[in-house]
Amino acid sequence: MSRKTIVAVALLLLSCTPLIAQTKKKRPLPYEYGRVVINNSSERSNMAPVVFEHWIHRRRFTCRVCHVDVGFGMRAGSTGIKAIDNERGFYCGSCHNGKLMVDGKSLFQACAPTMTAENHKRCDRCHSLGKNVQTEVDFFQFSAPLPKERFGNGIDWEKAEEMGLIKPATELEGFSGRKNSMATQKDFALNPKVEGMPDIIFSHQKHTVWNGCELCHPDIFVGVKRGNSHYSMVDISEGKSCGACHVSVAFPLTDCQRCHAKPVQP
Amino acid sequence: MFRQLAAVALVLCLCGGIPVGAVAQSNGGTQSVEPWQREFDEICGPTHDAMTFTPDELASLIARCDALLPKLQKLDDTRRKVFTNRLQMCRGLYAYVLESKKSEKK
Amino acid sequence: MPTYSNRRRARRSKPGALLALAFALLCLDAAAAAQIYLPPPPPKDPADYGRVVLDQYSASGPGGVVFDHWLHRSKFTCRLCHVDIGFAMKAKATEIRAEANRQGFYCGACHNGKRQFEGKTIFASCSNEPATAECFRCHSLGKTDVRRYQYAKFIAKLPRDIYGVDWMRAEESGHIHPVDVLEGISIRKKPMQLRPDFSIQAKLDWVHPITFSHERHSVWNGCELCHPEIFPAKREGTRVTMFSNLEHRHCGACHGSVAFPFNHCQGCHPLAPRWAP
Repeated sequence: MSRKTIVAVALLLLSCTPLIAQTKKKRPLPYEYGRVVINNSSERSNMAPVVFEHWIHRRRFTCRVCHVDVGFGMRAGSTGIKAIDNERGFYCGSCHNGKLMVDGKSLFQACAPTMTAENHKRCDRCHSLGKNVQTEVDFFQFSAPLPKERFGNGIDWEKAEEMGLIKPATELEGFSGRKNSMATQKDFALNPKVEGMPDIIFSHQKHTVWNGCELCHPDIFVGVKRGNSHYSMVDISEGKSCGACHVSVAFPLTDCQRCHAKPVQP
Repeated sequence: MFRQLAAVALVLCLCGGIPVGAVAQSNGGTQSVEPWQREFDEICGPTHDAMTFTPDELASLIARCDALLPKLQKLDDTRRKVFTNRLQMCRGLYAYVLESKKSEKK
Repeated sequence: MPTYSNRRRARRSKPGALLALAFALLCLDAAAAAQIYLPPPPPKDPADYGRVVLDQYSASGPGGVVFDHWLHRSKFTCRLCHVDIGFAMKAKATEIRAEANRQGFYCGACHNGKRQFEGKTIFASCSNEPATAECFRCHSLGKTDVRRYQYAKFIAKLPRDIYGVDWMRAEESGHIHPVDVLEGISIRKKPMQLRPDFSIQAKLDWVHPITFSHERHSVWNGCELCHPEIFPAKREGTRVTMFSNLEHRHCGACHGSVAFPFNHCQGCHPLAPRWAP
């Protein structure tokens, strides 16, 4: 290769420098927070992708029931749900089976072998991306009496449960095994790397009440020996460790004092 | 002839006694009749108590998970996907707790 | 029949073509870079500084929205709108729709026809009735004589620097009292400890160091406005340069569009000599 060619190629590569600008992104509105779009096979089957709203479901069930007992993955699209799975009574079909009674009514059946004029409205209730489909439960009516918090859904879910305003079920008939009382780890403090930031108080009790153990261990939190795992805010904001939940469903990272709760000793 | 008839009758009685529970239930859990489902519920039911088990108990549960896995992989598509994933989660937890107990001892 | 000289000519033209292409691409790059890295001087009319035009949904209807920062920042802290209410830091990134305003989000958090401020009721934004003259108070792009407040009259008594209003001095001298809490929207948290002011050595030796004050910034911004999205926690991986600033990243998220512009070197480099503007 002649010298000229080398110079030319080098200049060509140099000229391909990307210029990216990044600033604060749009924050999802309270009723949008926790929205998951699922499109493993919807579009391929000529259906609109599914829009799943966490707020509708987390008021009724703990995280564990869906993510452990029923078996949903922790990342959009990771479960690989198919219509036939739902029709057989798994995944969404565990509850959306036309039989389970909620608020005196039976929950609609998820999926059908074919879409017809009769059932397409039922399909649209979930396969609603890009369509103007109103949820049966109105977010504002639902959230009005609940204690407020910053960011996320704007709801203090923990306090709402303490006050008895929501009663998330810990079991699903036919899915959850027998449950005895749990032996949980004590709360502990984590020291932040940045000087001056308050210590993080991590409460196992608060997390296991809704998540059980296997939701986090070992897939999300691998290390067994405390102090060996290195959590960084950058990793967390990318969805690792705490970020598996605290980026898109549980209270977001902008609410610093929710975790960094212990005052720094002077 | 009579002996043969008696043998057939005996076999029929025995067959009638065995629960014909081969029909897969559409729900995933505890009201199961299939042996693998019963085994699954027994192994993965008490994950909440994982911290209270001894290392030997945990090791035995892990071994039972490993023994159950091939049976789950023979199921139909949907149930294989659902149950192998759930088994993996509960086996993972037991292994995790066992490892943490071992590291605490050191 | 290819001769020796023919073959040499052929070999020469190949890198020549590549060079030409590379040069053309570099010229394009330079033009694009100039758009970003050569800061245009601040708008001649200080009233236009901090102006945000939002017309992605309204252009075809009531017309584009013109949002002037000067009116709102004289009354509210940055944190209130950009953290509590949740406006994004980049024009059009919030994707505000009339429906969201009517539901009490974004502009509708205050502009709801009910909220009282300074003894008056704040007008409702995006109400359902047919468009009235009041719509044009915001949807004023391309229209004249529709805005209620005029810049020159509004800032007449406020302390000024050569780039416009000196907002910090305005607050120190008591001319403005930006509100930091909005009833029904803000949830106060216990404040976290601030890092003391620190000096950042510029990358070029001959450039005077930057003095960064967390206190001055957090008075109006709180912590969440900048952290972690604009300034991530991993300090080692965050390279703040004048280039990144001019790309509206890091300090450039505010400075250069709403907060004092980069022409005002002493704002950050206090020991830098004053240049004639």
